[in-house]
Amino acid sequence: MDIIKTGNLKKSYMLGKVEVKALNGVDVSIQKGEFVAIMGPSGCGKSTFLNMVGMLDIPTSGEIYVEGNDVTGMSSNKRAEYRLRHIGFIFQFFNLFNELTAIENIMFPMMLNRMPNYRKNAQELLNLVGLGDRIHHLPSELSGGQQQRVTIARSLANSPKILLADEPTGNLDTKSSKEIIELFRKLNLERGQTIVMVTHSQEIGEKADRIIHFRDGIIEK
Amino acid sequence: MSAVLFYARKDSEKNKRMFVFIIIAIALSTANIIIINGFMDGITDDFVEKTMETSSGHLNIYPDEQNRYIEGLGVKEQKLDTFDNVIAYSPRINAGGALSYKDKSKSIRILAVDPIKENRVTNILGKIDSGETLDVNDRNGVLISYRLADELKARVGDETVLVFEKGNTKVFRIKGIFRSGMALDTNTVILDFESAAEQLNLSNKASVILVRLSDIALTGQYKDTISRELGAIKVKEWKQEVESILSSTATFKEISSAINAIGLFASAVSVGVILYINILHRRRQIGIMKAVGMKDFQILSVYIIEAMIMGTIGIIAGDMLGYLGTKYLEAHPFSDPILGSLSPRFYTYILYDASLVTMATVILASTYPALMAGRMNIIKAIWE
Ligand SMILES: Nc1ncnc2c1ncn2[C@@H]1O[C@H](COP(=O)(O)OP(=O)(O)O)[C@@H](O)[C@H]1O
Ligand SMILES: [Mg+2]
Repeated sequence: MDIIKTGNLKKSYMLGKVEVKALNGVDVSIQKGEFVAIMGPSGCGKSTFLNMVGMLDIPTSGEIYVEGNDVTGMSSNKRAEYRLRHIGFIFQFFNLFNELTAIENIMFPMMLNRMPNYRKNAQELLNLVGLGDRIHHLPSELSGGQQQRVTIARSLANSPKILLADEPTGNLDTKSSKEIIELFRKLNLERGQTIVMVTHSQEIGEKADRIIHFRDGIIEK
Repeated sequence: MSAVLFYARKDSEKNKRMFVFIIIAIALSTANIIIINGFMDGITDDFVEKTMETSSGHLNIYPDEQNRYIEGLGVKEQKLDTFDNVIAYSPRINAGGALSYKDKSKSIRILAVDPIKENRVTNILGKIDSGETLDVNDRNGVLISYRLADELKARVGDETVLVFEKGNTKVFRIKGIFRSGMALDTNTVILDFESAAEQLNLSNKASVILVRLSDIALTGQYKDTISRELGAIKVKEWKQEVESILSSTATFKEISSAINAIGLFASAVSVGVILYINILHRRRQIGIMKAVGMKDFQILSVYIIEAMIMGTIGIIAGDMLGYLGTKYLEAHPFSDPILGSLSPRFYTYILYDASLVTMATVILASTYPALMAGRMNIIKAIWE
């Protein structure tokens, strides 16, 4: 079954009196356990698409189905709940809470979700991303690549159905980028984690199972 | 521990320096309320206590409008004896006069009392600074106020000439110098009732009779009974005697409320503005909170709880500061030539009120920034 399916998804923004069509009718199906890359020129609607699927923003029209259920039209609280339980986000910059240590950043969504044993589970996730020895470091005490790995660990906190990554390596050097992609690959293979990742880099995109090309708010065939 | 509390605590800890300013503002405003109100209530209570101690009974009987003196004192005293709840009374004579000492002379107010009766109603004869108090049936001794003694440079044991308002003069010996803390200290001379009556040609008369009841709560009820039974008189309750000061402190209370309000406003503004700026600087963090699935009211709660943490610390500090400040000013009072020494008193109820009012203000002040944080648009918060 498709874990994500969108039907004629549209989103426009008003810039003053000008209507900007960020998404102009997107039909996408993503299988459970798939690792998909989204590519396309800057401004073509990649981030907008991710935000819609991740319930950060509301589409202007069209439908989004997660495991067959229509998730459009949910209340603000329901969408927050959905993000907490089912979505893991990784952005390009500044993903972490500056005032929380690495382990606290990972514990936080678990606490929000009232999970027991959150400290132990957070420690295991840090081990998984190879930062088991950095638990009490603040984000400012970690390198960019390490910060992204903490973010990935946090995005896994509540075992989400879907991991959404918006240019997760856009701010990293080649070596760190490779490590992040290998981590994604490993999560995908070992845990069957569904991953949707936006990237600019052809090389990185090619590590995914499939590439979806966007152009001007629609999918390029 | 709840995630909301956890984040509020961590955020407060990491912003210590900024929050110290808020805590100081809250502490000062709390202490300000405790001290200023302690002053107002302290001065009022002091005045009432001193008045009751030196110048008023529970009820005071005055002549009616047509007369300067109460007539038929003996009969009226007998009637007072018949009331079960009248436990003591003391007739007094108030008159004008002058005091000559060596080559100096001063105009004075005469207060004449029967020491036995007066001691059952007030403690004015116990307020002796130096020398001794008036003996029973002491026809030749007087007490003079400490300020008269200062001005005339008169000492205990000296002889002095008292000129009564009708023109009679008599030599008295200064038995003692008193200090009451009341207006009496300005220029009052206290002497024996019979002695004054004789010099003023007053027989069976008094200017006022102070009455003490078994219970101060009975004043309202006895006021009417006594004025009906004794006739041709006017009866005032102790509350009426202190009314003038109570009404003037009412004005001061308004002023002090205004001062308190300004203090509260200042702390509310500092809480509100600092939280507001803090939240503006943390749009990104708030965006992440939302992205990981925090609900709007949970984010709002984070900032309200932070304000309450600062409020609690500030209020506890303010309570201590207010307590210590009050105790310090109690030990080092301001002195006023007319009112005597002015100092605040510590009242627990003011501490509770000040704490509650300050906490309410702090929560109110944090509401707008907290609402703003909760409602922040997630896309704008993340992409700006
Ligand atoms: N909040 C916004 N307000 C107005 N226009 C926006 C907003 N977000 C995105 N856009 C516009 O929508 C289009 C798609 O943006 P985006 O999805 O961020 O592109 P991409 O991620 O592919 O670079 C762009 O033209 C962009 O300027
Ligand atoms: Mg983008």
